[in-house]
Amino acid sequence: MGDLQKKIENEVVLLKGTQKEYQKAISTRQQLDAQLNENQVVKDELNLISIERRIYKAIGPALIKMEIVEAKQNVAKRIDYISKEIKRFDDIIMNLEKKQDGHRETLHKLQQDKMKSAMKP
Amino acid sequence: MSQIPLEANAQQIDLTTLSLPQLTQLKQQLDQELTLFQESLQSLKLAQNKFQNSGECLEKVTPESEGKSILVPLTGSMYVPGKLADTKHVIIDIGTGYYAEQDIAGAKSYFRRKIAFVTEQMEKIQIIGLEKSKIRDTVAEVMELKMQAQTAQS
Repeated sequence: MGDLQKKIENEVVLLKGTQKEYQKAISTRQQLDAQLNENQVVKDELNLISIERRIYKAIGPALIKMEIVEAKQNVAKRIDYISKEIKRFDDIIMNLEKKQDGHRETLHKLQQDKMKSAMKP
Repeated sequence: MSQIPLEANAQQIDLTTLSLPQLTQLKQQLDQELTLFQESLQSLKLAQNKFQNSGECLEKVTPESEGKSILVPLTGSMYVPGKLADTKHVIIDIGTGYYAEQDIAGAKSYFRRKIAFVTEQMEKIQIIGLEKSKIRDTVAEVMELKMQAQTAQS
């Protein structure tokens, strides 16, 4: 009986831990999504701007002059990197989801076992 | 389980076949999504205001105002006197730390585009939000029914 209770508690702790990890991964994934969107917008905007226009990049509080070609390259690289990160996090999230469901299932089973043993005198 | 496709297939899933814990989970998920939508809507409104303000400011930057003195904010609480040297160009923030020099017409069309974009996004979110809250209400209803049935049984 006590053994079962311990097992359940253990499983709950595991489930909570996975849930926390999952939430974290989700919020990171959302941040990445936002960054990707922003970069996409910048890319579109840079494509609309004629070559002779001056582009500046904010580095700390200062605006540094930059060639538009260079800016475009940088943004493309950023988009590339962020897309890869998003894929990576999608995998992580999927795994955590599976892990969560697994924990939930074991917990459910353990709880049923507990109920069954409680029914028996 | 948490990946039940809510949009197209939602009607196909008979909510009454789900168990109470499943429904609770679904409702929690929907609630979370709805708060997220509210938050997004708020930040979009803020962004819309900002673009609107900037666009209105541009109306004041005319060739006539060239050479006029202005106060330039160095920090939020400190200003230095200055003179408008160039009224044909402004530098606008296009995101992720990039700033682009634009002429007035270009800047105006930029802000107009941005406002249109943001407004479009807001409308989209409102539509999805409405749908989600409808689904949530249905889920809550089914939960209510299930709970009543359970108390009736015991």
